[in-house]
Amino acid sequence: MTLARAMVLSATLATLVCDPVYDDALTALGPEAPGVRRGPLHRPGQPCLLCHDGAIGDPQRFTVAGTVYETPGALSPAVGATVALLDANAVAPFTLFTNNAGNFYATPSQYDPTFPIRVTVTGPNGQKALMQTLIEGNGQVAPNGACASCHFDPSGRNSPGHVCVTLDDGGAPP
Amino acid sequence: MRNQLVLLGCFAAFVGCSTPPANGRFVQLALPDRASFGPVAELLDVRCGSLDCHGTVARNLRLFGSAGLRWSANDRPLVPLCDTQTEVDQDYESVVGLEPEVLDAVVAAGGANAERLTVVRKARGTEAHKGGKIWAAGDSSDTCLTSWLASSASASACADGLQSVLLNGFSNPLIQCAAQP
Repeated sequence: MTLARAMVLSATLATLVCDPVYDDALTALGPEAPGVRRGPLHRPGQPCLLCHDGAIGDPQRFTVAGTVYETPGALSPAVGATVALLDANAVAPFTLFTNNAGNFYATPSQYDPTFPIRVTVTGPNGQKALMQTLIEGNGQVAPNGACASCHFDPSGRNSPGHVCVTLDDGGAPP
Repeated sequence: MRNQLVLLGCFAAFVGCSTPPANGRFVQLALPDRASFGPVAELLDVRCGSLDCHGTVARNLRLFGSAGLRWSANDRPLVPLCDTQTEVDQDYESVVGLEPEVLDAVVAAGGANAERLTVVRKARGTEAHKGGKIWAAGDSSDTCLTSWLASSASASACADGLQSVLLNGFSNPLIQCAAQP
């Protein structure tokens, strides 16, 4: 009887722990880039909340995180860009700044928004890109809140491409 | 007692595994208005059809549109800016095909008790929904959807619903899309 219980418990735990979709997504991220340590500058352009989800054994949870690039045609980070987030309850935006990799992030203690969120990105030279759509999902649809879960390359019918502050011709992104 | 349990188990398995008859068909006699669905599609696209929610082919309610997954391989999110007619048609089929029998009953009743529909309950957050509560019963967005189920979609309610959440309100170009016929 004890053995049967142990087997049932093991099977239940295995079912809870193993998520092949999550595992595949994680594998697709690949290893760390050579010469870049884990930290604020690592893995630009990747869906941060895939790992930064607060699960046991995973890195610290982020509520919103992403990477801003200068243009759609290249992967030059927009260093010092401003990311203004306006959630459903806010009258004033919560502001984050991109680092040398173009990365920005917020932990729950810094910013725990009520979805949907509206976003305006301002480049280091004042170029302004308004996200015309919404970040929905109420924070429950993982990795919702990570820009790269929708903004990935190459752009296509299911992605607008990476986040950028200007178009290649200098115009504003739609 | 044990035999009864075994019999009950067999019966449950039989019922659980039985399938509808091969010639079983339900013909929807009452369908919601197709002509006024455009603004509803725009609202659903923006509020429900983002790329990590219902704007993906993995969902039962699969939505296409400018704010999410495009129908044409040549299109990109927001390019072109508004939903194409094909996308509106696809969204109509998606919504109408979710619960045909219930939808038929709701439309036949002039939209009465629209909360019988899962799509109404999930958006209101009165049924488990991973995306949470999207809007409240009776607000503009809800009215957009329920007016369409009742007779004809209220384009102004759909536009109001969008402007209440979109950046820059009525200046947001997606509002203009909702106002298109």
